[in-house]
This record gives sequence, structure tokens and C-alpha cells, in this order.
Amino acid sequence: MTDARKPQGDRLSESEAIERAKQGDAEAFQLLYDLHKRRVYSLCLRMTANTAEAEDLTQEAFLQLFRKIGTFRGESAFSTWLHRMAVNVVLMRLRKKSLPVVPLEDTVETEEEAPKKELGAPDAKLAGSIDRLELQRAIEALPPGYRSIFVLHDVEGYEHNEIAGMVGYSIGNSKSQLHKARMKLRELLKSSRPERAGRP
Amino acid sequence: MTCVEFQEVLPDIMEGQRNAEHEAHLHSCSVCSGLVSDLNLISEQARFLQASEEPSPRVWNRLEIALRQEGLIRQPGRDRSLVAAFSRRWSPAWLLPVAAILVIAFGVMVYKGGPSQPQIADKTIAAPAQVSAPSAGNNGDDQRLLEVVGSRTPSMRASYAANLQNVNAYIRDAEQTVQNDPNDEEAQHSLMAAYEQKAMVYEMALDRSLP
Repeated sequence: MTDARKPQGDRLSESEAIERAKQGDAEAFQLLYDLHKRRVYSLCLRMTANTAEAEDLTQEAFLQLFRKIGTFRGESAFSTWLHRMAVNVVLMRLRKKSLPVVPLEDTVETEEEAPKKELGAPDAKLAGSIDRLELQRAIEALPPGYRSIFVLHDVEGYEHNEIAGMVGYSIGNSKSQLHKARMKLRELLKSSRPERAGRP
Repeated sequence: MTCVEFQEVLPDIMEGQRNAEHEAHLHSCSVCSGLVSDLNLISEQARFLQASEEPSPRVWNRLEIALRQEGLIRQPGRDRSLVAAFSRRWSPAWLLPVAAILVIAFGVMVYKGGPSQPQIADKTIAAPAQVSAPSAGNNGDDQRLLEVVGSRTPSMRASYAANLQNVNAYIRDAEQTVQNDPNDEEAQHSLMAAYEQKAMVYEMALDRSLP
């Protein structure tokens, strides 16, 4: 991301673009969009597992950003500000759709959703490699609550205390749900390639 | 330490809270060490998914339209001398708004002829093919528009060229869907939206280029 923010040729730098966007400059808006569109869209796509919805949310996140850009004072990194806004937009949408933003701890977890425990059993490993597409599909197949936590922590790199603040629950719960999400992913990945899972 | 005990504290171990007892179990148990290495692998690979997807150009098109509608994008100052020069260089510029109006009119025509009149389905199928030239594929109009944009704001020419290319592709897709099922209301809405987007691109370009 850092390289992308450097001016290329006579292109504006990110900070120049921010100042010009505050004045309503169309090119500045487009430059800021170009710099950050991939990360915002990828976040939206991973969280919703739906292309059309991810496009809507990306548009909404940038629209909110550009509406508020006049208030940006540069105390925090622009990208941090934008991505936090994008996360909030997505979480808001999930709440509106009544999808569980947060997995319910120790309560309603169906047998199908919960990762299986294979304590002490001979266990096939993932053979040291995961194809990106495989992982992508497995994330899409996660229950929405697990998916949110996994994407925020393992894909986007937020810390448990930040996630807890965003979704409104305890740090311990965040850790526990992340672990369950990873276990579920492992199970999904193994079941998606039985021929490899059967190898010693 | 047993596997049960180890896996009970696994969430903490994955957070880096390991002690000698945990390490000893990991070294002696292939099941638990395999599990830990799989979970680490999943976590490491996940980071590569960050910023891995490119949104469709439609997103920027829609966003730019919204920004203009909300007045967040402000028009550059109008320069009379440039306008005069433009008028001398490009007298048939009045054709451009007409083209935009035609695009919308065509969209309305196809839209109204759709779901409520299945008996003219054949006509509806044929219509987009006949007029696809002025809507999605009229390079002449698009080229003239790009010349106009290029003469006023050269830096925006490439951007408008890409926008036109995208919106033309969008129109073609939508037309194809309507041709496949002329009674598909959603497809007709998409086609209408595609025409509106193209008209909006023309409008924005003219807004940028004319007084």
C-alpha cells in the first residue's frame, strides 16, 4: 500500500489528493478511490461472500468517506480511517440483515456450524499448502459470525481489542471465536480435498 | 499433558502463550503439532487475501454519479475563452446532448416494451440489435465526446475512455440478457440503468467541457 501512495509521474500524492478532494476535485476523488479500492472491496467481499453486495458496500464506504473528508485532519492514517469506516459499513449491513456479526458464545451453535473435535484421533494434515481459491471458498462457507471474526483478524490484521471494540464484546470471546473459525476452516479445507486428506 | 488438555488451551497457545509443558507436548504428539501447523498455515495464507480483489468499474461509475448528485464534486471554473475556442473547433458539439437524449429515449422504448407486452417479444429482441450502435457501440459519438473532453481537460480523456468502454460493456451485457429473456423485469431494469449510466457519462463529460 505504501508504494501505491507515492506520486507516480505527475500524479498527486495521497496527502495532496486529500486536500484537493476537500475542495471537490474529481481527479483527487478518483485517485483516492484507486489507491484503496482493492482493499476495501476485498474486505466487503470476504465479509459478505456476495459480489453485488460487496460492490454496494464499497460504494457506500467511499461515499461516507468522501462526505466526511472535510473533517479529516490527518491525526490518523488515512487508510486506517477509511478501512475502519468500511468495516463499520459492513457490520451495519450485517446487523440490518440480522446476520450474526458476532458468534454466540456457548449458546446456539448448531452441530453443523461448530468445528469438530478430533482429540487424539489420527488426523490428516493440510499438507503444508493452501490454494488461495480454496481458502477463499472455505471462508465463504463459514457461518457469517465466524467469517466476520476471521476476516477482521487474520485477513485484515485487526487485534482482538480492536475487534472487540468494533463488534461490542469481550476480547476473550474474540480469541475463542477466532480459534473456532480457524478450526472450522481447517475442517472445510480438508473436506474440500478428500484425495489429499487421505494421504499419510 | 494430554491432547485434551492441550487443545483446551490451544486458543491461548495460538496467541503465543506457550510454556515448556505445551512445547513438550507439541514435540511428542504428531496430531497436536499437525493441528497447530495447519492453523498457523491458514492464518498465514489468509493475509494474502487482503486487497486481492478488484472491484468492477461500475463501482466507480456509480460512486462518481453519486458524488456529483450530492454536489461533492465541484465543477471547475468556467473559462469563456476556452468555451469560445471550443465552439470554433467543434461546431457540431450540440450533437452530443442529442446523443445522450437518444440513448435515454431508446432505453425508455425498450423498457416499456418489455414485461407488459409479451406479444411483441420478437420486436423487443430485435430492437437492441438494431440500435445497439448508438447505445453501446457507436464509436463515432464516443470518439467525438472524447475529443471534446480531451480538448478541455486532456488528463481526463483516458478516464472517460475507460468509463465509456465499461458502460458500453455493461450495456452489451444487459442487452444480451434482455434478448435472452425479454420478459425478465430485472434484466430490463439493468438495461435501463445501463443507458442511464451512459447518458450520465455524456452529461458529466459535457458538464466538464461546456459552459
